Amino acid sequence: MGITTAWPNAAAAHATGQSFVALLPTGPYMAVGVATVALSIMLLWFLPQRSASALLPHRNIGRVAAAPALRNLSSLLMFLALCGGIAAGLNGTRDPLENGLVLGFWVAFWMAAPMVQGYLFDLWGWLSPWRWAAQPLGTLAARPVLPLPRHVGVWPAVALLLGFSAFTLADPAPDDPARLAAVISAYMIVTFAGMTLFGPRRWLRQAEFFSVLMAQFGRLSVLARRGARVRAGWPGWQLGNGVAFLPGIPVFTLVLLGTGSFDGFNETFVWLDLIGVNPLAFPGRSAVVVPVILGLAGANLLLVGLFLVMIVTGDRLVGGGLPANRLLALFAPTILPIALAYHMAHYLPSLLVDGQYVLVALNDPLGTGANLLGLADYYVTTGFFNHRETMRVIWLSQAAVIVFGHVIAVILAHAAAVQLYGNVSRAFRAGLPLAVFMVLYTWLGLWLLAAPKGG
Amino acid sequence: MKKTIHDTPVDNTQTMNKGDDRIDASRPSRRKAIKTLAATTALAATASSMPLFGRYGQVQSSEPIKIGFQVHRTGIGAAYGRWYDRTTKAAVKKINDEGGINGRPVEIVAEDDGTDPKRGAEVVEKMATQHGCDIAFGTLFSHVVIGSAPRAGELKIPYFVVSEGHHVASGMLNRYTLQPGITDVKSQVQAMAPFVNSTLGKKVTMIYPDFAFGHDHRDYFSAAVEAQGGEVVAKIAIPPTESSFTKYFPKIPRNTDVIYHVMVGPAVLTFVKEMGEFFGNSRPEIFGFIDSLEAVDLASPGLEFLEGTYFWEGNPRYAQANQSEYDKAYRAAVGVDANGASLSDSKDVATYAHMFGCWETLHIVKAGMEASGYAGAGDRSKLIEAVESMTSMPHSFAHPQGAKEFNGKTHQTFGHQYITKVTNGKLVLAHTTSIEDTYYPDEVDYTTQSF
Repeated sequence: MGITTAWPNAAAAHATGQSFVALLPTGPYMAVGVATVALSIMLLWFLPQRSASALLPHRNIGRVAAAPALRNLSSLLMFLALCGGIAAGLNGTRDPLENGLVLGFWVAFWMAAPMVQGYLFDLWGWLSPWRWAAQPLGTLAARPVLPLPRHVGVWPAVALLLGFSAFTLADPAPDDPARLAAVISAYMIVTFAGMTLFGPRRWLRQAEFFSVLMAQFGRLSVLARRGARVRAGWPGWQLGNGVAFLPGIPVFTLVLLGTGSFDGFNETFVWLDLIGVNPLAFPGRSAVVVPVILGLAGANLLLVGLFLVMIVTGDRLVGGGLPANRLLALFAPTILPIALAYHMAHYLPSLLVDGQYVLVALNDPLGTGANLLGLADYYVTTGFFNHRETMRVIWLSQAAVIVFGHVIAVILAHAAAVQLYGNVSRAFRAGLPLAVFMVLYTWLGLWLLAAPKGG
Repeated sequence: MKKTIHDTPVDNTQTMNKGDDRIDASRPSRRKAIKTLAATTALAATASSMPLFGRYGQVQSSEPIKIGFQVHRTGIGAAYGRWYDRTTKAAVKKINDEGGINGRPVEIVAEDDGTDPKRGAEVVEKMATQHGCDIAFGTLFSHVVIGSAPRAGELKIPYFVVSEGHHVASGMLNRYTLQPGITDVKSQVQAMAPFVNSTLGKKVTMIYPDFAFGHDHRDYFSAAVEAQGGEVVAKIAIPPTESSFTKYFPKIPRNTDVIYHVMVGPAVLTFVKEMGEFFGNSRPEIFGFIDSLEAVDLASPGLEFLEGTYFWEGNPRYAQANQSEYDKAYRAAVGVDANGASLSDSKDVATYAHMFGCWETLHIVKAGMEASGYAGAGDRSKLIEAVESMTSMPHSFAHPQGAKEFNGKTHQTFGHQYITKVTNGKLVLAHTTSIEDTYYPDEVDYTTQSF
């Protein structure tokens, strides 16, 4: 017997839903998705040359300003909530689907917050449990005890992101409340120690990977502050104007996508077969720790390597002769929309189920029998996985997110190439390998949604 | 003649392994009173010699009975785990509403095992050593049971599994592991043979996934069919990673009367659809195990081909014409409607064929604790002995799936099985097996093992 909702790397791996997906005409759907991305590349070639800001327009929508003090207060409250969560993780219910820390961290924060951050607005500005401490710590230690030079860039964050990815994907029980509480406590200590020793702003900019991740996804959001004003535009519009660069950012971005891709691949029959696991009798996460870590590392290395080959090849096609570093810095941010799309598509089905558990927990947050949301008699449902038509809607939503992410990426890559190579014709030739890569990646993303899964 | 639980009273004198010291779990007895007294005395004696335990002993009378619930919250068992959780909570609520166990409330300590055997063993250890659980309970997936049971045995904590696996009765586990609330796959499969042979046809083609789960079906059913004078004309093993089946159907011999299928996993609906396309309007009879479609709504488009086919169900998903008051009360308590779906969402179909096992097991734990006068961890072996001495469990509010016969030597329960036919998109009862149909010779006597 095997009906699946792996978790926290839950993804689309609900076998009931997956068995209905198998009945859908996913082949034609995938063809349409891939063709859409290919077509958008052709359109950019035929259309008159336009700047990124013309392709991804944005406009001023007025002054909306929250006092920094308010954000600091929110940040402090989040910190206190996190402390409360750790206490709940250590002493509260052992059931991960009822435990406040597990639901709060994995579902409300890890699954949902990046979606809001990436598509809507800078939620992290309010959620960060560290921000409040930046000023006091900065004042306390006027000069950092240890240096964290700018040229080190975000490489510490890359390392921490990889560590977190390994915990998410390979640890046997990342949703065990006490285990999660221990890991978060340790990370909290590391963060405060880092902020104290290296200076809060440096640490948050270069090492604290949630802040780096949210800053990256924040560059895609529809709404963004520009001075005292807020502007709204097409997803990705902020990237059209280039981004502040720190060494390591390109690899950080690629690791986001590489990890997201492997997270999906990790559940497919193809992968399980590859590592010698019967997908219908998955032996449990503890049996596959080593292959998953190797797979995660391999996927990221492969992606970074492939991406490099594509952009360098493109550059050589037009005789650009630019250093790989510079090409990476310019082109890597263009795949951010794909990384966000993978996150969204991957976690959407889980969020539909686990979001309900969050609401049920909020209904009676202290276990006192409260009925704040009127959900006392509500049973969490997965009924939408049990029908072909609802699964069709879910699958097509995921596919649309993937295709849309690639189209935005294609536009950004085109804009970057035009900026670098001067005219559309050269830009097109230079961007061709990357364009092929993005078309293939669209196919991969859609295939990951359609493929049989287990484990 | 086959006995059905709804129209024939169960013969309470019938036991599989007759023993002198069996207790009818449903009734208090003089023996129970004596045992309670003995237990209390023993506790007092132990308490005085063990300072820490003594302190616990003084306050424990008002403390809850802690039941460690090893639940598949994540991993491949999660969909089952969700319903096992719901059923467990409903059963505990009922037990507590009725006064608890020995006057003490029952508390569930749920730990997620990730449907992972190694993790399962760790969780059982946590229950025994950290959470102070009286027993561990509730595991479904066989590999988790097999991974956890040795640790339960080492830590001497009673481990009540709800897994259907034959591993308990096969003798591969230990005295601390019991399966009193759900029948095992060996008895389920062999009990299908008489009906399949007499009603559907003598020549059977089996289609099953090519790993242990499928092999169990192949072996148990082949043997049972041959014993009935039937014949398995083809055994078609499908590789677990297969996602299309059209190339396998031509292997079905033309003289096949019945197809027996037990496909599982994400390709199962494709299997059904392609089988429908292959046969068109002239198909043999088809019989399957509901495990393939547990929690799948049969009214969903794409499953029309299942109309008129038969399924084994551990407990009929749809309320039947002869629904018992027990099933009615059980459904209401768990929050399941007459179609086997959640009261909160008519499309959210329960794992109805299996989850009753949690309900029944908890009632057996209650009966066992009350019969043995269970007062604390020191009485664990008495609890096991009390359960081992159980035999007949009549169809009742505690046993809504039907009557059971428990075999204390093999630690395995035996009970009626249901065969339903898809009729207008619903599973309608076609046959109820007798309990005798599910019997096979004992393969172990756990009672000879010391505690």
